[in-house]
Amino acid sequence: MLIENMRMAFQAILANRMRSFLTMLGIIIGIGSVITIVSIGDSMRLIIDDVYDSYGVMQAYIEIDEDKVTDVRESDYYTIDELEQIRSVFADEIDYMDSDAKAKSTVTVGRTRKGITYTGVDYNYPDAVPVKLLSGRFLNEEDILGRRKNAVLDENAAKMLFGTEKAVGRKFRSTVNGYTDEYTVVGIYEKETNILIVFFDDIKDDECYAYIPWTILTGPGDRFLSCHMYAKEGIDVSDFVKRATAYIARMKKRDPEDFYVFSAVDEMAQVDGFMVAFSVAMGGIAAISLVVGGIGIMNIMMVSVTERTREIGIRKALGARTWDILLQFLTESAILSAFGGAIGVLLATGLLNLGGNLLEQEVVIRPIVVVMAVAFAAAIGAFFGMYPALKAAREDPIVALRYE
Amino acid sequence: MLGLNRINLTVRRGEFVAIMGHSGSGKSTLMNILGCLDRPTLGHYYLDGTDVAELSPNELSAIRNRKIGFVFQSFNLIARTTALKNVELPMTYARIPAAKRTKRAKELLECVGLGGRLTHMPNEMSGGQRQRVAIARALANEPPLILADEPTGNLDTAASIEIMEIFAELHEAGATVVVVTHEDNIAAYTDRIIRFSDGRVISDEKNPEPTKRSGKQHISDLYGSLYRREEAANAD
Repeated sequence: MLIENMRMAFQAILANRMRSFLTMLGIIIGIGSVITIVSIGDSMRLIIDDVYDSYGVMQAYIEIDEDKVTDVRESDYYTIDELEQIRSVFADEIDYMDSDAKAKSTVTVGRTRKGITYTGVDYNYPDAVPVKLLSGRFLNEEDILGRRKNAVLDENAAKMLFGTEKAVGRKFRSTVNGYTDEYTVVGIYEKETNILIVFFDDIKDDECYAYIPWTILTGPGDRFLSCHMYAKEGIDVSDFVKRATAYIARMKKRDPEDFYVFSAVDEMAQVDGFMVAFSVAMGGIAAISLVVGGIGIMNIMMVSVTERTREIGIRKALGARTWDILLQFLTESAILSAFGGAIGVLLATGLLNLGGNLLEQEVVIRPIVVVMAVAFAAAIGAFFGMYPALKAAREDPIVALRYE
Repeated sequence: MLGLNRINLTVRRGEFVAIMGHSGSGKSTLMNILGCLDRPTLGHYYLDGTDVAELSPNELSAIRNRKIGFVFQSFNLIARTTALKNVELPMTYARIPAAKRTKRAKELLECVGLGGRLTHMPNEMSGGQRQRVAIARALANEPPLILADEPTGNLDTAASIEIMEIFAELHEAGATVVVVTHEDNIAAYTDRIIRFSDGRVISDEKNPEPTKRSGKQHISDLYGSLYRREEAANAD
């Protein structure tokens, strides 16, 4: 009977191709937009996860909050010794520390002159954040302690400055903190990016990027405002950051409230929560269009029931029960909208992949979302088909048979 | 509102009856009641021993499905649906498995001479052919009562004769056939003619000399054996 109902439904849908298509359009657009939006949300979360992965999820920093504290004192600055003190107190929890120093400058090689962004790091930085080293080596302990003018250059910069990515051992001139020096390239790495990193970090194609010893960037006076840390794997970062802040506050004779505290995990959870809320809200708005599509289905099913009054009469005369007629029309509306849903899915997937290709970004389309969307479309069809189907099922066979 | 007024009518198993009357005579109402499409507001209708007045719409559907085969003036085939599927329909509602009903629908269509038109749509067939599909459909569930409402009303003379000969043959095979008509030459095929006017029976006579059918065999032995089987079952 179910197969028979489906056969009849397809026949009725195909008998009015144009009308069926226009009816489906509402569902196509509805399902298409729900999937597109949910998928954009999911893809955004993936991109954000990438961003945090590239900077390290265990990252945190604690610094005096210049918005809250009007009198920034000399003692609010950290010294290298203080950093070592904090490291020794929280030795079990801290994986890596530096002063979160970045410096913008220019770099000169022969007649080539480029902008460069330095990141000051410790020798064990790759333990905390993955660095994809292509050749040479990363900075070592002697580089840091001796404040050697060694640099790990990104591949793109090497090509721009030296015309080749095989630039280990080459030298360039650059001015950092007012001192012009000759730097030696000790390693080449590949910079990982995605659209969000490019956007937030203002990454430009013609800018050079390099890691140098953080001890070069602590001057003048070897003091700095940020205590930048990576917690060890498995540490509860939120809790650790709280205790570290309390410790630093005591050390600096400040209130813990006076510090600006950032932890990637907390922020990530916040951003993720925001993204989920965004997806749900947008998906909800898109779902409204699905309801509109459902009303379209209801409308056309009403027309179909009226048109086929006589057919219903014949079927009843031949022994169709109320349930048989109800099921026949419900099947028809469910198939109509499930089909619309399926087309919507195809359309959305196509568009998303196209957009993903254009932005060179991976697109996340979860199968569960697709399955749920099509099931939801069929449910919409069955729900909005219920009233017309009931109308059909309740037809009086005598009246229906006489219907012209 | 047209109605029937104090009718007392008995049609026995195996009878071939014509119901005649002008439009408005109440024969449509009688057809609806005989066909279990409607229930009498007052009084009783016993079909095959069951009092129909007591039944719910779904029970009426089941009765129509199993006990009555309808043949309408305007054929009432389902549009855009093959002859085969049309004949299968009553069996579908009787929940007969697909393979079995397809086989039987084919046999029935062959019986009425449409073995070569199985996949034709109603609009691809002549009136006479459509009515023969309708007869095949009416016979699908082997109902004891065949109810034909002006079966030749939309047909030319040749086709009309063809249809009436099929009914006559069904009658010979043992079916109860009730034909509503206003044409004397159609009623002439039957054994008993009941005339209606203003909701009353004005005459109920035996037809002394029913029109003899040509002898051409429209329906194979299959159909005759069907009723003999049923009679044998009843005799047990």
